[in-house]
Amino acid sequence: MSWHPGIPAAEVHDRGAVAVEADGLRLALFSLEGEIFATGNICTHAFALLTEGHVENGCVECPLHQGLFDIRTGRAQGTPVTKDLATYATRIEDGMVWIDTEPKAPAAAEAPASAGAGRHGDGPRLVIIGAGQAGAETARALRAEGFAGPVTLIGEEAHPPYERPPLSKDLLLGRGRLEDAHVFEPGEAERLGIEMRLDTRVAALDPAARRLDLAQGGVLDYDLLVLATGAAARRIALPGAAAGQVHYLRDAADAARLAPALAAASRVAVIGGGFIGLEIASAARALGKAAAVIEAQDRLLTRLLPQEPGTFLAWVAQQNDVALHLGAGVAAIAPDGVRLSDGTLVEADLILAGIGAVPNDALARQAGLPLGTAGGILVNAQNRTADPAIYAVGDVAVQLDEVTGAQARSESWQNARLSAARAARAVTGHAQEAPETLWFWSDLFGGTLQIAGTPAPGQVTIRRDGAAPAFFCLDAQDRVAACIDFGDPELLRLGRRLIASGQPVDPARLADPETDLSLIEDDEMKMLPVEKRYVWPASGLDRVPDWVYTSREIYDREIERIFHGPTWNYVGLAAEVPEAGDYIRSNVGPTPVVMVRDQEGGINVFENRCSHRAAEFCRELRGNAEEFVCPYHQWSYDLKGDLAGVPFRRGVNGQGGMGPDFRPENHGVRKLKVTQRNGAVFASFSDDVESFEDYMGEEMLTDFDTVFSGRKLRVLGHYRHTLMGNWKLYPENLKDPYHATLLHTFLVTFGLLVAGNKSAMIVDPRGRHSTMASAKSDGATVSDENKAEMRAYRDGMVLEDPRLMTFFEEFDSPWSVTMQVVWPGLIVQREMNTLGVRQIVPNGPNEFTMVWTMFGYEDDDEEMTRHRLRQGNLMGPAGFLGLEDNEAIKFVQDGMLNSTGGEHLVALDPKVPAGTSNTLISEAAIRAMYRHWRQEMGL
Amino acid sequence: MSMMTRERAADTRAARREARLAVEEFNADYCAVLDDGDLMDWPDFFTEDAFYNITSRENFDHGRPVGLVYCEGRGMLRDRALAIAKTSMFGPRYLRHYLTNTRITEIGEDGTIAATVNYILIETLAELPEGRLHQAGRMIDRFVPQDDGSLRLSSRIAVYDTLLVPNALVLPV
Repeated sequence: MSWHPGIPAAEVHDRGAVAVEADGLRLALFSLEGEIFATGNICTHAFALLTEGHVENGCVECPLHQGLFDIRTGRAQGTPVTKDLATYATRIEDGMVWIDTEPKAPAAAEAPASAGAGRHGDGPRLVIIGAGQAGAETARALRAEGFAGPVTLIGEEAHPPYERPPLSKDLLLGRGRLEDAHVFEPGEAERLGIEMRLDTRVAALDPAARRLDLAQGGVLDYDLLVLATGAAARRIALPGAAAGQVHYLRDAADAARLAPALAAASRVAVIGGGFIGLEIASAARALGKAAAVIEAQDRLLTRLLPQEPGTFLAWVAQQNDVALHLGAGVAAIAPDGVRLSDGTLVEADLILAGIGAVPNDALARQAGLPLGTAGGILVNAQNRTADPAIYAVGDVAVQLDEVTGAQARSESWQNARLSAARAARAVTGHAQEAPETLWFWSDLFGGTLQIAGTPAPGQVTIRRDGAAPAFFCLDAQDRVAACIDFGDPELLRLGRRLIASGQPVDPARLADPETDLSLIEDDEMKMLPVEKRYVWPASGLDRVPDWVYTSREIYDREIERIFHGPTWNYVGLAAEVPEAGDYIRSNVGPTPVVMVRDQEGGINVFENRCSHRAAEFCRELRGNAEEFVCPYHQWSYDLKGDLAGVPFRRGVNGQGGMGPDFRPENHGVRKLKVTQRNGAVFASFSDDVESFEDYMGEEMLTDFDTVFSGRKLRVLGHYRHTLMGNWKLYPENLKDPYHATLLHTFLVTFGLLVAGNKSAMIVDPRGRHSTMASAKSDGATVSDENKAEMRAYRDGMVLEDPRLMTFFEEFDSPWSVTMQVVWPGLIVQREMNTLGVRQIVPNGPNEFTMVWTMFGYEDDDEEMTRHRLRQGNLMGPAGFLGLEDNEAIKFVQDGMLNSTGGEHLVALDPKVPAGTSNTLISEAAIRAMYRHWRQEMGL
Repeated sequence: MSMMTRERAADTRAARREARLAVEEFNADYCAVLDDGDLMDWPDFFTEDAFYNITSRENFDHGRPVGLVYCEGRGMLRDRALAIAKTSMFGPRYLRHYLTNTRITEIGEDGTIAATVNYILIETLAELPEGRLHQAGRMIDRFVPQDDGSLRLSSRIAVYDTLLVPNALVLPV
């Protein structure tokens, strides 16, 4: 028996679980049903404090790997934990908990504990609001993907879900019934176990409580929600329009009203030259009515079609005796027709407005979900909203392109189906499929118009005549981006193939009806362009494909677009070249350069490559020179990189030598643009690169200037090592706060990173630079309290020489540690008092060299210099933390090199799509880096 | 006999030969601990106030003091042994040390032995069983005789010519 006092019992009951130390042991006190139990506080599986875990059903779940222990008996409840926790007797005296630090004898083997078993029901409750095509398709796709939880489909209409295209086509002509447009086969919804709540309106959505208020009373709780609320016809606000005289066509009720009215009408006027309007005009003509279309723009379908097919469609309409009023404003709805702005009356006894649709985003707006700039609910590539429990599909969803930031809302049958499938796959955790080519159709004037791909402004349109004409939209590289077909399905099929292939085509051959389109690419033996071969996973930035790290072609593109692009690349410290003529060899990306101080005191950076025969002429790591002479043919360059001498330039005895037009000034080595910031030297291959200050941005510059404050630097030396991984894994490692306490046991064991440390993962707005930062608890030199914190987690693990951990506060910064990535290839390290820069030199996709320059300041005394050197044991190729990162990076590359087609999962913290996050259990900074990378790489 | 005059009483040719044997024996034991023994025994080869540094020739030749490993005192050596043995994550491997070309450069009045020795370190990874040269360099050592006649290192500076460290150096040299 060895009784030790703990803490007041009230505190344990109050907090549920409290960590205490007694007799040198780390113990956990738990309050269960009014009793207090003591166990060891460290999980028997891996380093973690159980008091930071979740307590349920008398069990505590380890925060690290979700191992479960029975608190009363200490018994491990199964993988990953196999070893029981020690338990300790407790008693209460005068309100204090006393603990016997002699562990209790292990509980005898007994029947398996029931706690923790059978905690799952049949799966999460999923509710879909909106019983249109997208909502119904979502329910169906969920079941197809194996979703087992209850699914409830709520619709405002009394009809079961139906598809909308027939409303403006066959239904209007009396050629079909609404039943034919139903999404579900008879009995299908029942078979799939989908609860349908029709004629039901949701009045409010509370995302925090995951609860819906129903308009007719009552609530509905959900675990997952899909918003498929669709869009409503845009109403026209005009004098006379309120009288109910104007028809719209959006749902079955509209169609039911319109069909008899159309049958009875003799003259139909349609406001709006979009597809709905044209389809109504077409139906009217098919029924033998007079039809007019009024369009404010000066041509039809300006939003969807380029000029030429738009004009052709207008011609088709006119051939079918549709009166077109283009560029015509509407002034009023008159009793006998539509009054135009110019005073003209378009006579009509039936008026329909087809002027677009407005997304039904009121619920989402009320719930505070982010909306698109033109309304609609913002979703990611998997149709998930900013709330990880809520998805949006169909007409109401606005897909946000994670890379370009573009927003796209699509009202189409195809989008309803595809967005439903994406949401279902995301909910069930299945892989997303590659995006399909966009497709849209409309039945007009006895024919079918189809659009495949995405027509966009600035494209060239090529017309090709066949059984019916087709139009091909070509991008700047003469690749087919879209095909618009007026009734020749074979042309459309071939057009889709050309869109998929991404090959440039000869516009003249494309236009020529004699050219066999199925052969237009085969006879050219062209390779697929890089964008078609390297396609990012459809899921979006929460996946990173292996080819990003392993492909030579991607690597070459990185050199061209990133290292030789508009970036600032660290090359060295001014302190390494203090005197005129001092130079070092360095690199920009993989490209060797020389950094040298000239006679005027300026620092120049130029390629280490003779302009004559490409020899890497400067061979020493560092030195002092008056000029550089290439050893091969003795071409010499001055300290600015200008060609100074060419031996036998004028030949010998009037023979040989360079021609009279040879100009040395045209043959210097390639010079880079150079900038300095408080002693750090950066170079760029790009003349257009912004200033270093703009490149960094204010926030990142502050962290940078903390180390490079203008205090004169003293170089303490270098480490150089090769890492067997892709170069980007290194910046990623420093944008991955999740790994810090999991990989680096040292940090936890010796209390360098303890619970309660302030920390942050800050990303610059463009996603390329970042700072991983943490602060010692009190930010001061080691206090007694901190010394106590540094005590080992495990018995006997204490640093004998705690000077390694001493932090002398010397910076005006809230952080004691900052690891800053200056994109693309620099890391600025401030690990307490050990300072350095790490320069990444890629050697192909699978390996890079890291050059470390460790430094202090010129005004450091000897003890401070030694302190920096001692603390250097944490970092570098043999550093307690450094070596583990190197190994982890190698393991990652090993994992990819011997497999194909794989992808990484970087999905932590979905509430922050990309950028700065408030939690360290996040991969948002990695996603931000790949957003930027994809922008730069055009992939 | 300039040779004799330069040698002090303790620093004779015979003493150097004897010292070389003692140093070679010492280094053989030292390598055995690192290659096949318990890393926790490694600090015992050093005196309480020993200095230990592994640095590149690039740094050493330019008077740059930084070290891949930089320890002042046996406490820091023990901390490193403990941290590597108990907390560090690295892939499985064998390391084998070869210390050769022992030269005694000076024997002090107090018996302190200054010596240099070349070394190579071969690293064999589980997935790279053919092994590879990890480091080649020299040790610059200072030994202090102990009361029981054994030697301990009061300073060992390992200077490696192989500037590029392959990935990581997980164990001392």
